[in-house]
Amino acid sequence: MSTPIIDELDQEFIDSFRSPASAGNRIRDLNPISFAVIMVACAVAAVTLPGPWGPAAICLIYVAVSIAAGVSKAFLPAYGKLFAVVGLILFVLRAAFLPGEHVLLRLGPIAISAEGIAQGLDFALVVMALCGAMTLFFTVTPMKNLMLALELRGVTPRATYVILASFQAITDLGKNTKVVMDAQKSRGIETEGGMVGRVTAFVPILAPVFLAAMSQTEERALALDARAFNSRSRHSYLVSLQPVGAAEIALVCAVAACAVLSIVGAAFIWN
Amino acid sequence: MPIVLSDASFSYPDGSLAVDSVTLRINDGERIAIVGQNGAGKTTTVKMMNGLLKPSSGSVTVDGLATTDQTTATTARTVGYVFQNPDDQIFGSDVQGELEYMPKYLKWDAEVTEQRVGRAAKMTGIRRFLKVNPNDLPFAIKKFVAIGAILVGDCKYVILDEPTAGLDDRGLKLLNRMMDQLEAEGVAVIAITHDMRFVVDSFTRVVAMANRKIIADGSCEEVFGNDDVLSRAKLKRPEVPQLARELGLSTTALHLNAVVALIR
Amino acid sequence: MELVSLRNVGFTYAYGDKPALNDVSLTIEPGLLYGVVGLNASGKSTLCSVVRGIIPHFHHGELTGEVKIKGRDLLEWDPAELSKSIGYVFQNPFTQISGVKDTVFEEIALGLENLGVDREEMIDRVTTVVRELGLEALIRKNPNELSGGQRQKVAFASIIAMDADFIIIDEPTSQLDPDASEAVFGIIRKLKERGKSIILVEHKIDLMAEYADRIIVMKAGRVVMEGPAREVLVSDELSQAGVPYPEVTELAFALANAGKPLRSVPITRAEARELVSARIKEAPHAHSAL
Repeated sequence: MSTPIIDELDQEFIDSFRSPASAGNRIRDLNPISFAVIMVACAVAAVTLPGPWGPAAICLIYVAVSIAAGVSKAFLPAYGKLFAVVGLILFVLRAAFLPGEHVLLRLGPIAISAEGIAQGLDFALVVMALCGAMTLFFTVTPMKNLMLALELRGVTPRATYVILASFQAITDLGKNTKVVMDAQKSRGIETEGGMVGRVTAFVPILAPVFLAAMSQTEERALALDARAFNSRSRHSYLVSLQPVGAAEIALVCAVAACAVLSIVGAAFIWN
Repeated sequence: MPIVLSDASFSYPDGSLAVDSVTLRINDGERIAIVGQNGAGKTTTVKMMNGLLKPSSGSVTVDGLATTDQTTATTARTVGYVFQNPDDQIFGSDVQGELEYMPKYLKWDAEVTEQRVGRAAKMTGIRRFLKVNPNDLPFAIKKFVAIGAILVGDCKYVILDEPTAGLDDRGLKLLNRMMDQLEAEGVAVIAITHDMRFVVDSFTRVVAMANRKIIADGSCEEVFGNDDVLSRAKLKRPEVPQLARELGLSTTALHLNAVVALIR
Repeated sequence: MELVSLRNVGFTYAYGDKPALNDVSLTIEPGLLYGVVGLNASGKSTLCSVVRGIIPHFHHGELTGEVKIKGRDLLEWDPAELSKSIGYVFQNPFTQISGVKDTVFEEIALGLENLGVDREEMIDRVTTVVRELGLEALIRKNPNELSGGQRQKVAFASIIAMDADFIIIDEPTSQLDPDASEAVFGIIRKLKERGKSIILVEHKIDLMAEYADRIIVMKAGRVVMEGPAREVLVSDELSQAGVPYPEVTELAFALANAGKPLRSVPITRAEARELVSARIKEAPHAHSAL
């Protein structure tokens, strides 16, 4: 059984560039900068609202947003892991070592107090709300959309290129390690034994692989120059982002206003 | 003992086939060219021979041992594979270090190492470059370094993936000399190539692949005499044999001298 | 007006101990396809780098003599302007993918984005090269995950789409099968028919014979011969520079050596067919039909 060779042009795909890029979801189609403002506002609110309910609510909002944006499958496990590792460690450290008057439990030198638990909870939740803003932002926003939005706002293509290329370099490095392992196997070096075998096969060539990658940067720079990358004329863009509508502006303003209110509240009311 | 592929297939993790039930036997000391379009399954096929890829169905045996029963490294000591892109394979900071890498790993004694490294460097014409960083060498010479690194070992079979890419005439002569010496030593050479003139000049047996299958396996005369095979594998005859055919002089003459003899 | 003129040009790379180019004088006329041949490391790529201004603007070293591009001295050119007006397809297909685009279609469009081409025109131009090069099946693929041959085609397409009037192409078919190589040469011919000027470095001499107008032969950093393909490809200088003759030319030489020379020496198969069949007609009894 052989799959037919595709030689017809995928017109639908080509036409997709004629209209603004859409992920088919209102939240994911928000302008990356709008969404960034919203996430920053959430983070500000998490810091300023009284704990533990303030930051906890913000964390729940992330969960709700991720479900609404259709990215919960990617977001929830990642965020869950952050909670389980970073959140828990922060909480335990604070709870165990902060001194307090109402001691609930004494384990040798460690005295766990009610104040420690309360402060640990506050602190861990605030940090988790900050992490959540970052995680959710990068789960919802494709890097290339963010860079496009930044370029349209006047950030130089050089800067966005460096960021995008760095991410690609990380992926490439991962792929290179596979190639390296294949090359090692091919010359008869055991890599299939346990951890020790793998490491001894891998480590000696790490540095050279890295150096080889660096030596290619010159060629890459030239190839990029051949694509008129250094041209000073105005760049144009194949991909366009969804236009920012009145509703989106209103939403961003409303969320930002909430953050401002929470700052005011923190300054004059609950602190 | 030979390399035997019986109904060997390989599929990618997504389930699509890269090679579809290939059966092929490569005897000791034989010289085989594998030809066909990009994406026809040539590289996957040879990677199954040295154990880098294990067949997802069917079997591949090297000297009677199934590649699935041993590590790639073990198979690879018998079947050496020179990568298409030398950058994927070369890590040493100088050519000598690159060639001595395996002897050091295998803890050969100094005398054997010197002898094997010297032989490999001579065969691949890289003795002048032993102290040079491979990254400063042109692509074609880097490729010879990669070949040299494999020849240091004691392989009974050597696989070359696109050895003539970017190679000039001088390099081509060197490559041919090297293959002659390997043949004299009883080492089999399996080469993937797009260069049809190289095939008719330097190989006796040709395997043509198309659409993940072997569609022809025979002498140069058989394969290049068969229009159907050539069109399915999108191959071209070298110029002179094609000319001889167009003029009705011969359907099997492949070499210049044979064609010269036909023209009175 | 001549497109490029080199007078007594020499170049030594900053880290090199001997000159990569030595006393090169050469004129490139517009609208022609120049083939550059010679052994590896004979200076072919260095010559291309000078003509495109990568030397001395990017690769440093000692440049002597006079280089003029479109009548203007190389040193007076703005490098960014040069990279816009002269296209360059590099040798190594593995370093020409930008790494910042996640489909082949967008990868090919990158150069057009940098030139500020309108979206509609961009889509048209990319679609056209995709069709010409038969890349239809690849347009949705991630360019970072392609094979060497596929990358080579995409790199070529990316530069062709930019539609410069003068294009330098360094070994565009090294990773390609015979069919794809011919397709690439077919496109190069079409470019020439559209009035483009092309410099092409390539080892496949039979294809050179078929497509090039003029041939530049290089040896050890020097241009040892430059002239019409017909003259250069049958010359002694060619073999002295270590470059093989086209197969049919070799056949003609072999026939001459065997005491049965053809009326003239062919460089392409079509010419050889005519010459040899004329011979067969002259001596009809000598050949038995097959």
